[in-house]
Amino acid sequence: MIVYSLAVGAGIVVEAWLLALVVLRGRRPWLVATFGALALTLIVNGAAFIGTSEGFLDPAWESAVLWTLVLANPLTAILVLSLIHGETVPRRRPVVFVLLALAPLVVLLTPSADWAVQHAYDANLLGAFLTVCLGIPLAEAAYQRMTSSLFAVDAFWLAFGVVALIIGGPIYALEFQDLGILQSAGSNVAAPVALALFALVLFRHDPFPGTRPSRTPSGAAPHLFDPGRTVVFEETRPKYSLHAAALAAKEGVRVLVLSRAGPDLATADPAPPSVPLIPTRHGAPRVLGTLAEFFARAPGGLAVLPDLDDVALMSGWPSTEEAVLRLRGVCRDTGSRLIVASSRLTAPEKESLHSHRLDWWTLPDPAEEMEAVLAQSFGPGARELLAAFARARGLRREDLTLNHAEPFLQFLERALSELGQSAADAPARQGLRAQTSAAAEALRAFATRTPEDLARGDWPSRHASEADRGILVTAAEYWKGKEMQELFSAASDLGDRESVFEQARHVFVEQLGEAGEGVLRSELSKLGKRPEELRRADVAHLADRAAVDLTAMADVVDVPQEKLRIQRQVESIRRRLEAIAGDES
Amino acid sequence: MARRIVTLLARTGLLFLLSVVLVFGFWEHRNFYQIGFTNLLLLGGLVTFLVILGFRLALSGDMPRRRPKGELTFTLDEGDRLLRGGAEIAVRPADRVPTPVVGQWLWAKYDTGRAFGRLLVVDGTRRILADVTDEEARKAGYASAAELREAGRARWKWTPRDLVAVLRLRIEGAKP
Repeated sequence: MIVYSLAVGAGIVVEAWLLALVVLRGRRPWLVATFGALALTLIVNGAAFIGTSEGFLDPAWESAVLWTLVLANPLTAILVLSLIHGETVPRRRPVVFVLLALAPLVVLLTPSADWAVQHAYDANLLGAFLTVCLGIPLAEAAYQRMTSSLFAVDAFWLAFGVVALIIGGPIYALEFQDLGILQSAGSNVAAPVALALFALVLFRHDPFPGTRPSRTPSGAAPHLFDPGRTVVFEETRPKYSLHAAALAAKEGVRVLVLSRAGPDLATADPAPPSVPLIPTRHGAPRVLGTLAEFFARAPGGLAVLPDLDDVALMSGWPSTEEAVLRLRGVCRDTGSRLIVASSRLTAPEKESLHSHRLDWWTLPDPAEEMEAVLAQSFGPGARELLAAFARARGLRREDLTLNHAEPFLQFLERALSELGQSAADAPARQGLRAQTSAAAEALRAFATRTPEDLARGDWPSRHASEADRGILVTAAEYWKGKEMQELFSAASDLGDRESVFEQARHVFVEQLGEAGEGVLRSELSKLGKRPEELRRADVAHLADRAAVDLTAMADVVDVPQEKLRIQRQVESIRRRLEAIAGDES
Repeated sequence: MARRIVTLLARTGLLFLLSVVLVFGFWEHRNFYQIGFTNLLLLGGLVTFLVILGFRLALSGDMPRRRPKGELTFTLDEGDRLLRGGAEIAVRPADRVPTPVVGQWLWAKYDTGRAFGRLLVVDGTRRILADVTDEEARKAGYASAAELREAGRARWKWTPRDLVAVLRLRIEGAKP
């Protein structure tokens, strides 16, 4: 008997360690709570069993063994179902909580002769109750094993854990009793094994670490779609999804962006909380865990998943697709919103996702639409204007987002001022200014259009046919003469004339925030240059130095995802500085 | 050769030991196993089968997850760069079926079909080819992103708008 008690005692130590591990490291309060409840029950059960068996405790404590045994079974069912359905288990499988409520009633209704733990699994009401409690999670795990690609492996371990509880509990008790070796009824020698397997699954679904919004209700969001919806943003690069996140955060909605890296968010004010996707083969379950926990924490909030393609590369497409579909259910249950960007998904993956009748919004590329809006005022020269702006900022045309609309208008205003100093024809200059104001107004109006509005297909680029543009240019030329062309030239030259320091400053500030200017000045002092002395030829050296120094800074960061983020920012700064340096690099 | 014989003997010895433990277990629990000859044959057979299977797996020292599934082919130059540690990234068409996933083991093969090692996909991301950076291209063994695009154009007829998978790999030894 002492050997068996020692085994149960060792199990208690393991259970306590698992409990501490889950409480300290687990990031899903609901799962931590259910795991904690089961682990504590099993610890008390084991301790009471050892105490009564070895005579440390009064025989009256035997009732504690029975009660904890009865309690552990429905708690096992709740934990297993919670590990599968997450925070939505009260909605999805409410019956499991009825089991918990029934526990005291069942014990009371059981004939007094059967109150002893030795008869717990006999053919009586209590035995039936305990069997059902273990049967439900086993059946659910088996069902998930057969039908789910996301939970196939985890369901196996969950089923293994439940089977271990069945073997280590009632079956061993029966065997030991038949063999007449010892009386182990009420205890469960496999409890630490089951808890370890449950903890394994819990950690595989653990949210990615990162900043999370507080547990407060979300504000009203007039620019957002209705709560409870999951919308797929079909766009070449995830620009509108990130823009929608920034806009919603500004309106007081609880927002979470789950992405590999969000360099564009650096320009958003305020930047919405962002959690980085860490490369792991459990990517899909962890995405599900992260967003399910977020929706439970901030019902009515908005989650944005711009890098679904990366999740597919981590866990495979079937698991990723299932994670999105499960999240749709969570969204509906919690009245939250989810934006999924289909950028960089392959054609079969998009087709497969589309077949689930998710709301699907096809959105334009902001750069193309900005050009179309400007073309209404400047004709084909609009492309030239945008290109000049992008060149001055060290950006590629495809990097332009709606966040660049305002900086572009400032750039245009400066080009117009430069032109104003040289052009002699005052009425023509006045006309050009009016035309630029109209373009600015149209661009600002376009920038405020919601994705939902744009998804209806009413895009500026679709309106501006080539014929219209031809007429427009002719009309413009009629009353402004060659002033328009002069504006394009002024804009094109503005990038060259603009202080190189100013261009570099834009790059550093966009990537590193306000601290970026300090970093730039520090790098300049290392080069022995003052801001006004910075020449285009120096920018290549500046790019190299900044890359080396900032990479060294990234190397001392211990948090892998932060290191990755800084490395991406460094790469972006280097690439843009090289673009500014141009041929002189 | 001698090492192989020792390994074989050790594994055989352990399997024999396991068989002895199983027989001892049946003897020890003889009363409990009074469930009828046919039942015992089926259930006992199944349990014994699973135990031996699990034991063999443990003895092999090669867990199922570490077994390569699928392959990634490289030109001779690419393969050599990977073996010498001069490259750690492979850029491949994203619509490759089946797509390798993070944590998957793959055979690394030359175009000629000869396997030269096992690869673990450590990380992966998808990019539009035009978005692949110089840094990534350098890690893939090319001088610049432009050179990578040129190589891809010749090999897979890539255009800048094509989707590619950027896979960070770890190679583990050459295939014996």
